[in-house]
Amino acid sequence: MSPLVEARDVHLSFGPTPALRGATLEVAQGEILAVMGPSGSGKSTLLHCLAGILVPDAGEVHFSGRRIDVLGEADRSALRRDRFGFVFQFGQLVPELTAAENVALPLLLAGARRAAALAQARTWFERLALDGLQERRSGELSGGEQQRIALARGLVGQPEVLFADEPTGSLDSLTGERVMDLLTAAAREHSITVVLVTHEPRVAAYADREVIVRDGKVTSPASLVGAR
Amino acid sequence: MIRFGLRLTLRGGREAVTRLVLIATAVAIGVGLLLCTLAGINAVNTQNARYAWLQTGTGGTGAEGSSADPAWWQLSADWFDGKLIGRVDVAATGPDSPVPPGVAVLPGPGQFYASPAMGTLLATTPQDELGARYPGKRIGTIGDAALPAPNSLIVIVGHTPGELAHVAGARLVTSISTIPPSGCNGEDCAVSVGINARGIDLVLSVVTAALLFPLLIFIATATRLSAARREQRFAAMRLVGATPRQVTVISTVESTVAAVIGLGAGFGIYFALRPLLAPIPFTGVPFFIGDLSLNLPDVLLVVLGVPLGAAVAARLALRRVTISPLGVTRRVTPTPPSAWRVVPLMVGLGELGYFVAAGRPASTGGQILAYLPGILLTMAGLVIAGPWLTMVGSQVLARRARRPAALIAARRLSDNPQTGFRAISGLVLALFVTTVAIGVITTINAYDGGARTTTADRATLINDFFRFNPSGRPSTSVPSVPSTLLGGLRATPGVGAVLLVHEQPNTGQEFPPGVVSCAELVRAPALGRCAPGAQTATIEPGRAGTKFQPPAWPAADVRPDELAGLPVRAVVVATNGSRAAIERARTLLELVYPQTDAPITVTEQLTLNGKQTAAYQQLATVVIIASLPIAGVTLAVSVVAGLNERKRPFSLLRLTGAPLRVLQRVVLIESAVPLLAAAAVSIGTGFLAAYLFLRSQLSETLQPPGPAYYAVVAAGLLTSLAIIASTLPVLPRVTGPETARNE
Amino acid sequence: MTVPYALLGLLEREPSHGYDLKRDYDTYFGRGKPLPFGQVYATLARLARDGKVIAGDAEPGAGPDRKRYVITEQGATEVETWLAEPVEPEPHLQTLLFVKVVLALMLGRDAEKYLDTQRAAHLQRMRELTEVRRVGGVVDLLLADHGLFHLEADLRWIDLTVARLSALAGEVRP
Repeated sequence: MSPLVEARDVHLSFGPTPALRGATLEVAQGEILAVMGPSGSGKSTLLHCLAGILVPDAGEVHFSGRRIDVLGEADRSALRRDRFGFVFQFGQLVPELTAAENVALPLLLAGARRAAALAQARTWFERLALDGLQERRSGELSGGEQQRIALARGLVGQPEVLFADEPTGSLDSLTGERVMDLLTAAAREHSITVVLVTHEPRVAAYADREVIVRDGKVTSPASLVGAR
Repeated sequence: MIRFGLRLTLRGGREAVTRLVLIATAVAIGVGLLLCTLAGINAVNTQNARYAWLQTGTGGTGAEGSSADPAWWQLSADWFDGKLIGRVDVAATGPDSPVPPGVAVLPGPGQFYASPAMGTLLATTPQDELGARYPGKRIGTIGDAALPAPNSLIVIVGHTPGELAHVAGARLVTSISTIPPSGCNGEDCAVSVGINARGIDLVLSVVTAALLFPLLIFIATATRLSAARREQRFAAMRLVGATPRQVTVISTVESTVAAVIGLGAGFGIYFALRPLLAPIPFTGVPFFIGDLSLNLPDVLLVVLGVPLGAAVAARLALRRVTISPLGVTRRVTPTPPSAWRVVPLMVGLGELGYFVAAGRPASTGGQILAYLPGILLTMAGLVIAGPWLTMVGSQVLARRARRPAALIAARRLSDNPQTGFRAISGLVLALFVTTVAIGVITTINAYDGGARTTTADRATLINDFFRFNPSGRPSTSVPSVPSTLLGGLRATPGVGAVLLVHEQPNTGQEFPPGVVSCAELVRAPALGRCAPGAQTATIEPGRAGTKFQPPAWPAADVRPDELAGLPVRAVVVATNGSRAAIERARTLLELVYPQTDAPITVTEQLTLNGKQTAAYQQLATVVIIASLPIAGVTLAVSVVAGLNERKRPFSLLRLTGAPLRVLQRVVLIESAVPLLAAAAVSIGTGFLAAYLFLRSQLSETLQPPGPAYYAVVAAGLLTSLAIIASTLPVLPRVTGPETARNE
Repeated sequence: MTVPYALLGLLEREPSHGYDLKRDYDTYFGRGKPLPFGQVYATLARLARDGKVIAGDAEPGAGPDRKRYVITEQGATEVETWLAEPVEPEPHLQTLLFVKVVLALMLGRDAEKYLDTQRAAHLQRMRELTEVRRVGGVVDLLLADHGLFHLEADLRWIDLTVARLSALAGEVRP
């Protein structure tokens, strides 16, 4: 079965500094993949390329059989909006909007009517133990609550792929575990493919398999694909 | 998307609303200003058109139409108590003679019309001081259509054709002139007919630019408030899939809302200011309120241009985010300003300098084309070059800094010079504009001598017999002055002395100089002094009070007993200064010599010369008074924003042991040093620009300004320093340990 | 090493038969590695010899598993002391890996690849423990957490060693 998300020999440099030097990766449909590596290895950059946020200097990125690195900015934005979900480490919520509005954002951007979008957003609050916080400004919430809001936002549009970049990076152990529990449970329940960038083994342990990124390349040890 | 944008703008929390209010206020002030200027330009032209009819009969102005019966027409100037009166003597030759605007029919012999202000003056003044000059009955009031200003003093006196036919200055005209004068020419200047409309347009345009620039900077500063937060917010939206277009729409909505609110308020400001502006004599005389009007192109320009400009500005400000959704997470140090930034400033100054060498353009229109871009380019050049100069200066400071505070401040400045300069850019412009304005005004005043107002000047009346003769030589004198006139003058209460200035014989000159008895000159000190030991002196009465008046008139080669036989060039009446004395004397002289220019006091003559500069001075004052507060507000907003930005790095410094004093010194050096350095640069550039302008436009050398200038500059700098210093007591609280917590 | 103390602790809770002891040990401490009967009785015999437990009278029925064991005061004190003592960090796993890495470097084999394989194995184990955390009770949770943290510590050591390989090789190879 062909992979859902794929990177083929991707190269990307920021000015004079090369970040990816020929990274190749395949993610099967429905699997939870951990992308590990030391800081500066390029794992976040690889995730950005897979998600259509950055366009590589060379190489190809495929999603669902189509090349996405050749798409224009508007098309890639639409892809992120309709078919991907995102949970990043911080700085991803819009501070002026309430929690419910933040969760509903992808739907609103897609053109959904405000009332319908908010209703759909609100269904996620109880499932992620966020009940009562719908009308609070996201800036007033704790780190754990913000991450769960971000998770709700990532899931609200029923994405095919959830991209998570150090989702527990700014959280303490217990809160981080809670977020990971919810994330993986929701992913499994809805058959969402997850690409999870992390440097922490305990976070990577939530995934089905892991790959290591070193110096801009992907090294995948002969690993055992864990059964669910 | 638009509704979403409105939601973010209007209900986005306190920061968003503050930003909205600030930007809207700035836009409102700018729009109000722009509208006032446009209305002012319209008013100048409208007022100028009302001078057209006074130009009737002067050579060189076209007239349309032609009446069957021509009319005799003479324009002359009269004075009362320092105020100018326009007098038109007319005589109709038939029922179909041309009629000027504002009246229904031409006045017949023994009749006259008066303007409303003139009517009031006539009613409240004794007859022998004013009314006797206009023989006959007042049959009506001149309508507004003929009045350049609401307070214009105009009189239209009717005569028989026979009376005017022999008057040297009268002409036969077949139609009333309808072409507005483009400038003073010849004898029309005596009535200040026509104003240098193009010149006023030039000045008003420069004034607007001088005020708009600081305003634009203020708007830019306010727009950058919470810029990092807004960028982060947009980046978050881009991450979850907002297209660049959607982000642009939202940002445009934000700017447009502020712009539209500001637009409405700006119109409100304009309408509120209109009645306050009309009485101000920018052109030398006030406007009718109705003159200050906006025509359709003006309104369209503002109503369409302002929101459009706001939208474009919003688009430009978000270039970085619309490119990548990782806008803030990958924060890159802004690229340092390049040396090319100095080019516009050099070009602007060079352009002004070019005209020193090449000479100024001939026409006023050409002058506008020449100087306006030069000055605007210099102003823009200052603002563009500012960050580069700040960076270079701070790098020099960093190399030579020995104390930690100076080193930290210098490094922070050289890392981000744009922010450092932006705060003081308003002040830089304000100081430049102030310096140029005051430099130019001071020099013009110095060269024109200003209006000397000694008591003797005000009290001394001169009736000069010089008369233009359109068909031949001007006549310069009368053979003699009737003794009844002299007697009447001497008998008038308040008249001290009456002396005659005779014409020197046998000089061979076309316009011979005057000669006066020194014994008598003593009693009219306003005219000057004789050289010691002289009995008669060569004199030019018209130069009294100007810089051309020599310290002592040289002795003349005429014996005192010869004087009585010489023709008389002028009658000089020295009074005690009371209005009654002056005006009675004037009336007596006018009744005897209706055809010559009206008698004029020395002060009135000097005022006539200096009328133009008074108007410019007024404008300069407006600019200075307005631009400095705008600069101050810009600085305050920047300082507050800077306080926010310093919270985290400074509190971390404090935690690692930097004493509060050092940090306060850093703030001071970071803000005050660029302020003082930039002030020096802008003042220097201002003097240079003024020098270049004066040399090429007026061939005058820049004169050092008076104490008022230094006071204004000092006030501006001290206020700015005070604003900066006001943040120092707040620093300990803002950079307390709580701020350094990892949230 | 911990088996005697574990059995002592269980006996301090209540006197038990050998079979019950084994069952309890497997339940609480032996996840995945059940204790052999022989080891249980051998340990109990040693403890009795040392005077820390007393083997009660055998009840009717054949076999040593019918003996009831009771803790003595000495045994209780022993448990007390042992609980209060901090645990010795387990050196044997690191030693094992270290030996393997050094040997690999000496013999010119790819030590890094070996460490990567070890990492993958560790992560696989961590995945299994994470699954246990998801479905198990609170006790399972604690045990699993304990294992996860240790594995994570091992991984940290592995990462550092990978970074130091070239320096190590310089020292180890002639």
